Amino acid sequence: MNFLAPAAFWFAAVLPVVVLFYLLKRKRVVRLVPSTLLWQKFLAETQASAPFQRLRHNWLLLLQLLLLILAILALARPYLAHTSPGGQIYVVVLDASASMQSTDEAPSRFEKARAEALKLVDAMRADDQMVVLQAAAVTEVKQSPTSEKGALRRALQNCRVTDTPTRLTEALKLAETLIQNRSSAEIHLFSDGAAEDLSAFENSGLPVVYHQLGNRSENLGITALDVRPHPDDPSRRVIFATVSNFSTNTVTTQLELSFDTALLEVKSISVPARESAPLIFVATQERDGVFTIKLSATDDLAIDNTASFVSLLPQPVRVLMVSGGNRFLERALRAIPSVELSVAPALGATAPDFDLYVLDNVLPASWPEGSIIAFRSAHPDWFDGSVPLEAPAIVDWKGSHPLLRFVHFDNVQISESVGVKTPSWAVPLVESPQSPLMVAGELGRQRIVWIGFDPLQSTWPLRVSFPIFMANAVDWLNPSSISARQLTVPAGSPIRMALAGNVTQAQLRLPDGTQIEAEIDPVRGELLFGDTSKQGVYRLNTGTAEILFAVNLLNAAESDTTPRSELQFGRYARVEASTFRRASLEIWRWVAVLALAVLMFEWWYYHRRTA
Amino acid sequence: MKPILSPELLRRLEQFQLLSKRRAKSSAKGERRSRSRGQSVEFADYKSYTPGDDFRYLDWNLYGRLDRLFLKLYEEERELPVTIFLDASESMAFGNPSKFDFARQIAAAVGYVALCGFDRVSIAAFPDSMGEAAVRGALRSVRGRKSALTFFQNLAALTPSGTAALNEALRRGALMTRQAGTAVVLSDFLDPSGYETGLGALVARGFQVSAVQILTQEEVNPSTFGDLRLVDSENGWQEEVTFGRYRLGAYQQTVQNFCQRLREFCQGRGISFFSTTSDTPLESLLLKQLRQAEVWG
Repeated sequence: MNFLAPAAFWFAAVLPVVVLFYLLKRKRVVRLVPSTLLWQKFLAETQASAPFQRLRHNWLLLLQLLLLILAILALARPYLAHTSPGGQIYVVVLDASASMQSTDEAPSRFEKARAEALKLVDAMRADDQMVVLQAAAVTEVKQSPTSEKGALRRALQNCRVTDTPTRLTEALKLAETLIQNRSSAEIHLFSDGAAEDLSAFENSGLPVVYHQLGNRSENLGITALDVRPHPDDPSRRVIFATVSNFSTNTVTTQLELSFDTALLEVKSISVPARESAPLIFVATQERDGVFTIKLSATDDLAIDNTASFVSLLPQPVRVLMVSGGNRFLERALRAIPSVELSVAPALGATAPDFDLYVLDNVLPASWPEGSIIAFRSAHPDWFDGSVPLEAPAIVDWKGSHPLLRFVHFDNVQISESVGVKTPSWAVPLVESPQSPLMVAGELGRQRIVWIGFDPLQSTWPLRVSFPIFMANAVDWLNPSSISARQLTVPAGSPIRMALAGNVTQAQLRLPDGTQIEAEIDPVRGELLFGDTSKQGVYRLNTGTAEILFAVNLLNAAESDTTPRSELQFGRYARVEASTFRRASLEIWRWVAVLALAVLMFEWWYYHRRTA
Repeated sequence: MKPILSPELLRRLEQFQLLSKRRAKSSAKGERRSRSRGQSVEFADYKSYTPGDDFRYLDWNLYGRLDRLFLKLYEEERELPVTIFLDASESMAFGNPSKFDFARQIAAAVGYVALCGFDRVSIAAFPDSMGEAAVRGALRSVRGRKSALTFFQNLAALTPSGTAALNEALRRGALMTRQAGTAVVLSDFLDPSGYETGLGALVARGFQVSAVQILTQEEVNPSTFGDLRLVDSENGWQEEVTFGRYRLGAYQQTVQNFCQRLREFCQGRGISFFSTTSDTPLESLLLKQLRQAEVWG
């Protein structure tokens, strides 16, 4: 037999009190009487005094003790562990995303949701089972199916709200698998509905009870932040921020920009209701550091009022162009301010290390280990064979890729190209009907952009998109810019970063000041850290250097705290918010406590009436 | 000092005479019929004349008719010894009026009636008290109406104290009496060692016994409730009792049972028994109840 509330055994301390009552000598009034003979006979006839004072004969005491023990046992809630196939299974999905920190429900949406979930636990029948899932960037199973209410309560109490977006689809898919083959099941989703699009989750028959949290949307949030070099002055930085207003009124507030701890600039901003407003700061940066912008507005959700960006000073990119002669390519590269270009007709075996190699229609004897842009040059391992293509027509290009930002292939003709199949390590960026003409990807730790044609055999160098592409390519392939991008992480996403040098151990300091031992992949020398549930600046100390990471929410879906009374699942299904069900609270404990009180009263009354 | 009995009550008591179911056995002359032959006005029998008989008692009429001499015999009138066993223990000092005062009044009344009837009265107060030896001695074998005043004075001088040993006192009284007569036992009968052997000894000695049990109102109907430690006035024994109104009925039943056992014991041995409380009007007890019970008439 087990107990759901073993703490109730503390009530056993009352047992000696009852015995004490019986041990206590009563204060008696002394009276002189002619003779005690009649009283002796009276006591003997009524059996009133002496036998009752002895504990071993005192049935009244034994009964009271028994009643107390039973009451305490009841309070301890004993149960027998057994499996019951007939019960219902409840899957509680507790949204622990950033938006649940909104304080429009007191004390917060998350705490309200937790309280409602606890009520659901109280309302469970003995043979019902429940699973507790915490849905944030990662769905965690906080409690596997059990009928044990104590364990369920503990699991709910252990849930912690995070600064991450919600992946409700993942949580609902997990819940769906948990209730498979169960005849009677319910998924209770405690959420405010501020989540990414659930269109990917197509299930109309899922028994979801949606407990909607939140009653208003008074929130102003930073939904985008980027820091780039100033186009005219590379020593300065341009900070782009987007502030979104999700409330129903126009909000005027101030946005503060600080670098590390120094306040740089304060700008006033007015954002109309349900709209976003961009804001640009320009600041001079003389050292590596963290730009932080902060909204001074007071709203329901505080977490999205701050965002940080780790900005490193730009490093010159050492580029080696290996070419038989290509003025267009050379000029395009030289036009990029950060590039230190070297040109060589062939790649020597003893060439110094470069950040980026541009291989223009050459086949090097030994392939470099750095990033590569290859025009009509391919390592034998890159592709499974190749065929020549005559005048391939460009039919599609992937404009969303960073390499092709502002790059168009309208009016670009190619006389000839090499046809290959897209390898698994790369994505096609520019395609002809027969073959990809440009692929980009990462092979091992090497980034590669492969173009299948010679620019001189096309009209592309004559187009404005060519130098833009080269600038994008240098930026994308530059190792230092790669690592700079890795320093700003969306909340909930893992940090993965190659560490320079032979680092085997490092300490990571979290935004709340906690210091933990960082996990370093010993083979690849990479930092792997997954628990980025808290927004802020993470500091990695490798002993020789300190690397900063900024973890930001920057998620419009989370910042939009508008209560959603309806969730759309896929294209057709939807679920409406249920009004909170009136949970039947257990009151038997109070009844038991009342029984104890009655027992005490009985004792008191019994002795009072003898007076 | 207030007289034990009022003159009015004494005057009314003078009309009574102790009734005895038995013939007097005393050797002293008195006014009670006895089995002995002697001088009186009551004819008893004839006997043949034998030389030496008193000629004055010859029945000359019979001699005339039968020509034989017969002597007329008359009943001898003897006195009736009345012994009053008066419980003067500490427990008798309780009550309002105290049980002892009430018992003393009854003793005085019985004694006065006996004295008026020319009977010998003895007061046997127990337990013994060395301080009152003279008084108690003077209360033995009192005879004659003229002794009544002294009798009352001595009676008034008694004080209750000590532990009653009822059985022993009655048994000793039975042994020490030369002729059995009427015995009146005035006590509360609340003796842990009982009363059976004492009363039995009196009956066995030939006494005509009347037992009067005197209790206080507090003993019959207690008014003290709560957690009590009761201390016995005589032997100091203590009894712890929790007593409430709801137990009053049970207590009264106990008292009734005790009295009933005493009554049945007395009835079984031909003892007249009365139970009374010390606050009962004395006249009612003396002039009605004792008369109805034919203690006197």
